[in-house]
Amino acid sequence: MAESKQIIEQFTSGEYKEGFVTDVEQEFIPKGLSEEIVRMISARKEEPRWLLEFRLDAFRKWQAMPQPDWAHLDMPAIDYQDIIYYAAPKKDKDRPKEIDPKLAETFDKLGIPLHEREVLAGVVAVDAVFDSVSVATTFRKTLSEKGIIFCSFSEAVKEHPELVRKYLASVVPASDNYFAALNSAVFSDGSFCYIPKGVRCPMELSSYFRINAKGTGQFERTLIVADEGSYVSYMEGCTAPMRDEQQLHAAVVEIIVEKDADVKYSTVQNWYPGDAEGKGGILNLVTKRGICKGSGSHLSWTQVETGSAITWKYPSTILKGDYSSSEFYSVAVTNNHQQADTGTKMIHLGRGTKSRIVSKGISAGVSQNSYRGLVRMGRNALNAKNFSQCDSLLIGSLCGAHTFPVIESLQPSATVEHEATTSKISEDQLFYCNQRGIGPEDAVGLIVNGYAREVLSRLPMEFAVEAQKLLQVSLEGSVG
Amino acid sequence: MGHGKYIDPLADARSKPGMTTSVIAGLTGNLYQVPAGERLELQFVVLPGESRDIDLSIDLTGPGAQAHVKALYLCNGEEKVNFRILMHHRAPGCHSTQQVKGIAGGCAQVHFDGTIVVAPEAQQTEAYQENHNIVLTEQARVQTRPQLEIYADDVKCSHGATVGQLNPDELFYMRSRGIPEAEARTLQMLSFLSPVVPAGREEEVEKAVRSL
Repeated sequence: MAESKQIIEQFTSGEYKEGFVTDVEQEFIPKGLSEEIVRMISARKEEPRWLLEFRLDAFRKWQAMPQPDWAHLDMPAIDYQDIIYYAAPKKDKDRPKEIDPKLAETFDKLGIPLHEREVLAGVVAVDAVFDSVSVATTFRKTLSEKGIIFCSFSEAVKEHPELVRKYLASVVPASDNYFAALNSAVFSDGSFCYIPKGVRCPMELSSYFRINAKGTGQFERTLIVADEGSYVSYMEGCTAPMRDEQQLHAAVVEIIVEKDADVKYSTVQNWYPGDAEGKGGILNLVTKRGICKGSGSHLSWTQVETGSAITWKYPSTILKGDYSSSEFYSVAVTNNHQQADTGTKMIHLGRGTKSRIVSKGISAGVSQNSYRGLVRMGRNALNAKNFSQCDSLLIGSLCGAHTFPVIESLQPSATVEHEATTSKISEDQLFYCNQRGIGPEDAVGLIVNGYAREVLSRLPMEFAVEAQKLLQVSLEGSVG
Repeated sequence: MGHGKYIDPLADARSKPGMTTSVIAGLTGNLYQVPAGERLELQFVVLPGESRDIDLSIDLTGPGAQAHVKALYLCNGEEKVNFRILMHHRAPGCHSTQQVKGIAGGCAQVHFDGTIVVAPEAQQTEAYQENHNIVLTEQARVQTRPQLEIYADDVKCSHGATVGQLNPDELFYMRSRGIPEAEARTLQMLSFLSPVVPAGREEEVEKAVRSL
């Protein structure tokens, strides 16, 4: 018993390695949120009129909306007037084309190469976002030879306004929900990606988000368009410094998958989760949605959620094209005072559409971890199929694990299956490992990794290694 | 719920002065309390033509208490059948099962909303919930919300829910062996329902299945 207590203590003391602050000169806009601030952000980014109108419209809608409270979360009140909505590192005028060495160093420290060099497991193109601006996008030339557009959102607005205008808010309208409306009003930067017809993207594309400045929030927007028959694998990572105050992160990700295209979207979310007493941390309130627009299209979500004080995130797919398919694989780990309310929505509209949901929750400490999902079979979803599996693992007696799935069927030929289990690591499993000479701590690591394996194996190689390490740090040695 | 913390709705109601047990029952539907070592068994049969709201709140208050709920429904018209089951484990070592199965035809509307809540002190809980539905017609509508809220760690809890149609492979198998389609379908439905048919009511259920 004493031993297991000690192990739990060790587990809760798992350190956050990305918690440093980069000392770089930054420019801010004044604190607070008003029409003026929205105009200011737009002006600073030299945006066209239609985008400003879009922002103002979203802002007005946001003002009329109440903050949602249906999630199984103990959400602190957010003072929207106490946040700086735009912070950018100052550019050194002598070297306008180069990245500030301090920034390069920061991303290097995080393991994100901004120089175009081959990394261990293959080539990855990166768009690095530092607070409110994208500081670098690598491999743009190599990609553009194939006709692939991969750049920061601001550049896309300037260089490809017709594409941005066509697809922006076509999946997540500005009035979709409270946080999406807020993002639409004040979003600063993010990534834009367009894969032309029939092109298979030769490398993994990746966005890396870093919050650095104090008292700011990050509001980025990602738009991915995969044209007919194309393929892309997209990864997203994020970290933030350790601070006592909570910081807001409200992002929107939109994915459009045309006929026969295939998009794989992977996230390893490692925002600062707050300290052991639940002080500080990121409020991660994200809207992610994709649409399988054409027939035979495919969208796959894979996420590993280990950070954030509060996670509110439901990557969803609208299966509009006939015979389109989607998958959602998730591992969500909560520890200490973290809270997560995460899951997915699969809206089946087309005939013969298929979806699969595998969600693995792990809660420890005094955290609360919820799965919330919706599977809807529309009237025309002939022979559509869904399978969902949501498992929860509890470590320690003070945490909670919850499952809130909703299944709606309007089509008799559709099949929906849902199953969920909740349990702790069994004494038998631990005993089995122990008597074979595997220490309790390693045994837990082994069992948890085995438990999450189905999801981890879906991650691109570069991410799988990182995710496994993260899981180990977050969960080393925890015996219930 | 809207909050991340464990809330005991009944304790909240009880703590208000002047509130009697019957009022609490009115608040949360039919309230059953199962004390230590006792066993509660409930069975429901909803036959075609019958709209029903089955609203249960079962409280396992003493160690080792058990509750088992079985329900079956058959619809072929404009019935509205609603299940709301709250299984609240408050004491250690309790065991509960819920099995709700049914067939929706006509333009029936069926709604299942089942929750298992396991309080922090209810260790060694075993709780299982199943809801399986077969939809026969385009107009019928089934919505199911199986939910788990668990605040203890030494638990074995699971739930399963399905919405689907009669298996065409099974149907083909039987028809290829000379069983007429209507009969084969009846057999399929009867075998689907058999785990929840109460003893002594087999004939009644079979008659109802044949009428679908």
